[in-house]
Amino acid sequence: MTIEQFTPEFETARPQLKSYILRITASIEDTEDIVQDTFIKASTKLDTFRADSTVKTWIFTIASNIAKDNLRAKKRWPETVTDICREKALANPNYFPEIAHIMQTSTQAVFEMKEHINFCLTCISKSLPLEQQICLFLKEVYDFKVSEIVEILQTTEAMVKYYLHTSRSKMVSIYEGRCALINKEGTCHQCSELNGIFNPKQNFEVEKNKIEFAKKANDPNRENLLDLRFKIMKEIDPFNSKGSDLQLHHMQHNRDIMENYSEKSNK
Amino acid sequence: MTTVISNGKAVTTKKTFSRETAVSIDIQADRSIIWVLLTNASDFPRWNSTVISIEGTIAQGEKIKLKAKLDPKREFKLKVKEFEADNRLVWGDAMGNSVYTLKPIGNNLTNFSMTEKIGGPLFPLFAKMIPPFDQAFEQYAKDLKNEAETISKTK
Repeated sequence: MTIEQFTPEFETARPQLKSYILRITASIEDTEDIVQDTFIKASTKLDTFRADSTVKTWIFTIASNIAKDNLRAKKRWPETVTDICREKALANPNYFPEIAHIMQTSTQAVFEMKEHINFCLTCISKSLPLEQQICLFLKEVYDFKVSEIVEILQTTEAMVKYYLHTSRSKMVSIYEGRCALINKEGTCHQCSELNGIFNPKQNFEVEKNKIEFAKKANDPNRENLLDLRFKIMKEIDPFNSKGSDLQLHHMQHNRDIMENYSEKSNK
Repeated sequence: MTTVISNGKAVTTKKTFSRETAVSIDIQADRSIIWVLLTNASDFPRWNSTVISIEGTIAQGEKIKLKAKLDPKREFKLKVKEFEADNRLVWGDAMGNSVYTLKPIGNNLTNFSMTEKIGGPLFPLFAKMIPPFDQAFEQYAKDLKNEAETISKTK
């Protein structure tokens, strides 16, 4: 493959690659760097590309390896990440002025529940072991087949299936305990809280009913509810959505908090 | 070693100086999936209702600490004595060994067997204090079959 053939292929994959890396790293800066490094690395290794995989799979393989190297030394986030970061935001006098500034200056600062659900899924998934998080997103959000994930992660089919199964079980269990949208006993009400702040004129129950998994909260098959969360995530480009500037600010805030939180808990 | 039928029913053979319990079951899954389940120590309690916890790394020569629901107050300190990927796993202590074997018997079909033999010169003195393993073994095999077959169905 020549660089002339590769470049348009890379540009086609770029939006998905960017959102994937953002969801793995939760950092805009790291995402930009990793995507750029992926292009450079792939460009210098075009002669090693084997046509038995797609270019997209090959690009995701290189990017995943760079992301894994970037994240290897970092601690995974706790399941309670949104609680911890909420407390830090409330205690930070600059947090809401920053939000107000974004809302005044950006056209992509609309708060929508589904965008918060996408944000929440990204944060909570960082409590999974890295390989499990990667498998989960590649399969459920980016539609890679198990055989392609085997190639991307350079592991066995058994391990990929195991990672997918265990990660899904864990995510179902976390949301069951936390998410008040699907469980009345759930401890996290951040969606309704933020919706009340950003959209005070909206009726929360009406908004909640627009979220399919909240509407189906009594479905005994809890895996279905998780799939509906992934459906929301799939439909959102975190860099180009109606509320992307707002959500990216939240994301960077959580990442910064977690960096310090990890450092403190490592001491 | 006791030969058992692959029906998930445990069989115990008692002798003066030893006791051996075995169970065997056919599982509709590739043996590599079963192997992953048998060798991820911290994940055991999620799928195996007979295990409280396993601490350590299940790998050749490693030491692990096992707590089972059959005798929850005891912590068994065991050594991984054999570790042949996708094939055979043996751990144990001075009193005895647990042997796990996987044999492919068809397309995506694996026979799993588990045998535990305990014994020694002093065995008759404490034999009555050791609870029967049969029910726990049957549950172990059932849980493993259920989990491996669920994972195997992942598309």
